[in-house]
Amino acid sequence: MRPDRRKFIHDTICAALGGAGLYSALGNLQLLQAAVRANYSFPDYKALICVFLYGGNDSFNTVVPYNTTAFNSFYGTNGVRPALALTQSQMNNTVLNAPASGTGSPGDGNTYALNPAMAPQPITGTTNVSADFTTTFNAGNAAIVANVGTLVAPVTQSEYQNGNPALPPQLYSHADQEAYWQASPPTNQPVTGWGGRIADLVAGANNSNAPVITGLNGQDAFMRGQVVNGYIMNANSASTINLLQGNSGPLTCAAAANAYDSGAAEAFCNLMSSGTQANVLERTFAGTMNHSIATANLINTAINGAPAFTAANQFPAALSTGYDLDVQLQTVAQLIWAANQGNTGITRQIFFVTTGGYDTHGDELATHGAPGNPGVLSLLSRSLAGFYNALNSVGLASKATAFTCSDFGRTMTSNNGGTDHGWGSHQFVVGGAVQGKKFYGNGCSFTADTNYGVVMPSLTNPTQLPNVYNASPNLNDSGDGIGRIIPTTSVDQYAATLAQWFGLSASDIGLIFPNLSNFSNPANYLGFMG
Amino acid sequence: MRNFLRVSMRRSLSLTVLWSAGAVFAASASAQSLSHFPDPVFHDGFNGLNAVGTANISATDAARFLAQTTFGPTDADISTLRTLGYQAWLNQQFAATPTYETTDLPGKTNSAYLNWVANVLKEQLGQNNRQEAWFLGALGGPDPQHPTQNSYNHTDQLRQRVAFALSEILVISDQNATLSGYPQGMAWMYDLLVKDAFGNYRTLLDDVTLSPAMGVYLNMMGNQRVNSAMNIHPDENYAREINQLFSIGLVMLNLDGTPQLSGGNPIPTYTQSTITNFAHVFTGWNWSDCDANGNDNFQGCGPDQGGTGNPPYGVNFLTPMVAYDQTNAVMIAQCNGQPQPCTVPSYHDNGTNLPDDIQNKQLLSYPSAASGGLLGPGGTAASDLKFALDNIYNHPNVGPFIAKQLIMRLVTSNPSPAYVARVATVFNANRSSATQLQAVVQAILLDPEARYGQWQNSSTFGKLREPLLTVTHFWRAMHAVHSCGANIAAAGTPGSNNYSPPTSYANQPYRYAGYSTAWSTGQTTTYSVGVTQAAQDALTVFNFFKPSFMPPGEMTTDRLLGPEFQIQTDSVIASSDNTYASYAYNFDTSDTCDEIPTDRGFDPFGDVKINHAQDLALAGSGKGGLSDPSDRLIAAYNARFMSGQMSPYMYAQLKSYLDTIDSSWANGSQDWRLQRIYRALYLILSAPEYQIQK
Repeated sequence: MRPDRRKFIHDTICAALGGAGLYSALGNLQLLQAAVRANYSFPDYKALICVFLYGGNDSFNTVVPYNTTAFNSFYGTNGVRPALALTQSQMNNTVLNAPASGTGSPGDGNTYALNPAMAPQPITGTTNVSADFTTTFNAGNAAIVANVGTLVAPVTQSEYQNGNPALPPQLYSHADQEAYWQASPPTNQPVTGWGGRIADLVAGANNSNAPVITGLNGQDAFMRGQVVNGYIMNANSASTINLLQGNSGPLTCAAAANAYDSGAAEAFCNLMSSGTQANVLERTFAGTMNHSIATANLINTAINGAPAFTAANQFPAALSTGYDLDVQLQTVAQLIWAANQGNTGITRQIFFVTTGGYDTHGDELATHGAPGNPGVLSLLSRSLAGFYNALNSVGLASKATAFTCSDFGRTMTSNNGGTDHGWGSHQFVVGGAVQGKKFYGNGCSFTADTNYGVVMPSLTNPTQLPNVYNASPNLNDSGDGIGRIIPTTSVDQYAATLAQWFGLSASDIGLIFPNLSNFSNPANYLGFMG
Repeated sequence: MRNFLRVSMRRSLSLTVLWSAGAVFAASASAQSLSHFPDPVFHDGFNGLNAVGTANISATDAARFLAQTTFGPTDADISTLRTLGYQAWLNQQFAATPTYETTDLPGKTNSAYLNWVANVLKEQLGQNNRQEAWFLGALGGPDPQHPTQNSYNHTDQLRQRVAFALSEILVISDQNATLSGYPQGMAWMYDLLVKDAFGNYRTLLDDVTLSPAMGVYLNMMGNQRVNSAMNIHPDENYAREINQLFSIGLVMLNLDGTPQLSGGNPIPTYTQSTITNFAHVFTGWNWSDCDANGNDNFQGCGPDQGGTGNPPYGVNFLTPMVAYDQTNAVMIAQCNGQPQPCTVPSYHDNGTNLPDDIQNKQLLSYPSAASGGLLGPGGTAASDLKFALDNIYNHPNVGPFIAKQLIMRLVTSNPSPAYVARVATVFNANRSSATQLQAVVQAILLDPEARYGQWQNSSTFGKLREPLLTVTHFWRAMHAVHSCGANIAAAGTPGSNNYSPPTSYANQPYRYAGYSTAWSTGQTTTYSVGVTQAAQDALTVFNFFKPSFMPPGEMTTDRLLGPEFQIQTDSVIASSDNTYASYAYNFDTSDTCDEIPTDRGFDPFGDVKINHAQDLALAGSGKGGLSDPSDRLIAAYNARFMSGQMSPYMYAQLKSYLDTIDSSWANGSQDWRLQRIYRALYLILSAPEYQIQK
């Protein structure tokens, strides 16, 4: 319990604002002031979990056409992707039962399925099969947001080709598009992420020293606020300073005298002590170490007291590769459980879990996986479904919403074995509060403007090569004629919908996402959270 | 990872519990008011770049120079440098015989470590062996094949340090699923970085571009021109990253490395169209053994010639990629409904086969670009590649882009623009020189800012030590050797599934192996153990950390770069510290070996260890305590580890604690002074003042 926590944050910000000229170095002044003003308090607990798929997931090989006409026009001779064809019958177990037409439908009258790698997988050594995302979706606990991407404002094909529209800088570059997805936009220096900016505003609502934003596999811009700085732990624990453990547990510098080697512990802590480093890099190193020491014990205690969530449809040990997405989400489920035991003072938390392997320039089909040969999509399917099932088993499913993000989508065309960096892509949202079993996004029967896309745009206008570069591209979804799909829904809309569910006011959301107002037609918010 | 933490914890806890009663904290109140800056007492002045001799180069200045130029100073190196002077020492380094991982020296078959392991010891090469080869170069010293002959010693520290820096710019990684199976192929590319470390950057770009490991990693291997019927397009991965990461970056730079601005905004160096055009140039290259049938259609080739060999070592990884664009091939697979056989062009886009080819390829356009960067039709894959790499290399960004990153890897995270400009000028003045990078490296190291910066900008100068370089520093400074390990004979029939190759680690002090030590550095994917860094083991092409990373907090507010902080996260900083602790307290050469000499499943690899007792005489001469103080030990470690830059505050902290240690801390028959040595090492390796190389 920290009754002075909000005051502390307030004072920190005001101290920063008081420094002459400092506000410009700190970034967005309005946001800082909003963080000072923020007086959020919540009667309930909610968690947002960003699942970042590094490398740029080929969501056009993740959500795939299933009905025969669509299947053939996509994978067949003279189709869009003959060189990376799936087999239709393999997807009989992954068909998505979204509405066939109207709101929540894919918007083009076709039926879609998930990549067959996302079907339930046998669990080694048992007769059980793993959790799978198709089941979660069809049970109404997950949604698909179609063709989301980084946008400053809506862009049509003709604007992209002929005009001079405002575009996110360095489209198709990993580092820049990762940064844009996580910061949206990354133009304010220093870059802050939207997870961090949300955390800035809700931090005062927590009466706890538990981190308001926690990463489980390294740090990135998403976690970076103007005031709040996230805590980065391991996939399943927080590392403590082994050698200087105390009689009552891990080292804390307040109780260094209790360490087994108290003299060493006191010397160690004195060298780390705030204010004893003359060089700014030394202070930064010591600050990280002190942050680590102060938080690790809290995290480990929470995990150690929580259920393991190892049921067959959750995270059985056989699923684990050790430190990947499944273990990270299992740990997040444990931390959410712990935050909901009694009056912990924790009402809002954000988690950042990540995985890699999605930059499929080659060997894409094998990398994504297949029935019997699990790949990255298999892991994603099991992990998201397992996470929902774990929280559902303890009655907390509606308190947590997990959502995927990735650098970019990939090209509709291939290089024979894989695909290249694209733009728009489909994302998954999972949780008990999600209005599931539906497709969302501008253009998924939300708008009459068909230029704003449907789930698989190239189906309605298959890429007609050969003359790719010297003739006018004839795709209505692609800027350059090789299937870099122009997003029809912006990251800002996607994120704002989540922020709204999290309880932020519309005006604060507008400060967090300064370009959101460019998407007011048809709507700033996408509706997948009700 | 065999219970590494558990074992080391058990050891350390049992010891520390034993002595806890004797450990009394005795920080003096006066220590709180001592300076936190490096103590000038330990710094007797920098006497100029041409200084020679121990009278003119202090031990601490020598140590500081060596921290920037080697994998960690040793007392012997410090002595040599002081005798020779900076320039002569550099000249000696430039001339030192390169240490290669898998490239034999002329006329010396199997002189390279991996070749010896594979061909003489007949072991099956794994990534662990590649790490051993890397440590042999990084730690230097005797060669395992000639452990007692000094003439075979590995002394090319500066070349190795620069090659390692280059490996963090021109990145490949064993995290790649294909490369993970081919350690020798990765080593072959690392050897190119070693070879070219003092050479010409254009040559380096050529070597790296055509190395099969890079071809696999960034997909230029087998890249093909447009096949419209199959909706296939050239892959842009290499085209993008060679520009973005290996040469010019995303925005136009001034000579001093700052971005050029137009209307307040940075100016992009290229557009998506530029990348697409480069991708079309980078087509037609593949393994060296393709197309024995005479058609240039990428048939019948791969890492191994003819697919023979068990295990497959990937011999074709050891030959540059080859262009296949000469035969107007018959390519059945591409006929796509046309009567067979049909005639189609090769896989290289040379601009003549319209409409799929790009007739005139607009590459980078800048004022001095040859032909305005426009590549016309009719070339060969090789001539088109040459045009493209020349186009990249001659871009004015390359000098500042590479200069700044090399400065950041060797000297400081936040060089002044003037420093970058001075080094970039040397880069540009030596554009056609075969020793361009040698001149650049010398300019970096002998620059006044490298030599005086810690006094000029004492509150911002320096860089966080990369955790792997902390490990090498510790091992070099403390003369680590490999010990224990087992020799287990081969079993089964070579070439069959039941074959188990031999292991040969017993009595091999210079094979730097070990699950608990050398290889545990590379736990990039687990985070809870080790230091999360090993050579060519980054998670992505963006290296372990991005050059543009600003740590949160004060450094972000001040707009200061700190790339290495990106991997020192809240948890990793603790697990790295635990790793240093286990090296400081444990892994002593006098430890009893725990291998089972006949059980290949039970860690037959041994570990890297130090002889802690080497510093007993420094640690005390009597019974310890205040009457036998720890000053000599602290002073020696201050020079060896911290280039004499320990602040009076830190000195007092160490002394007040270490002086409490006395003969009552003896653990059985062990000398009590070891306890001072363990703790001095651990506290120094943990200290912020050590962790920032200044």
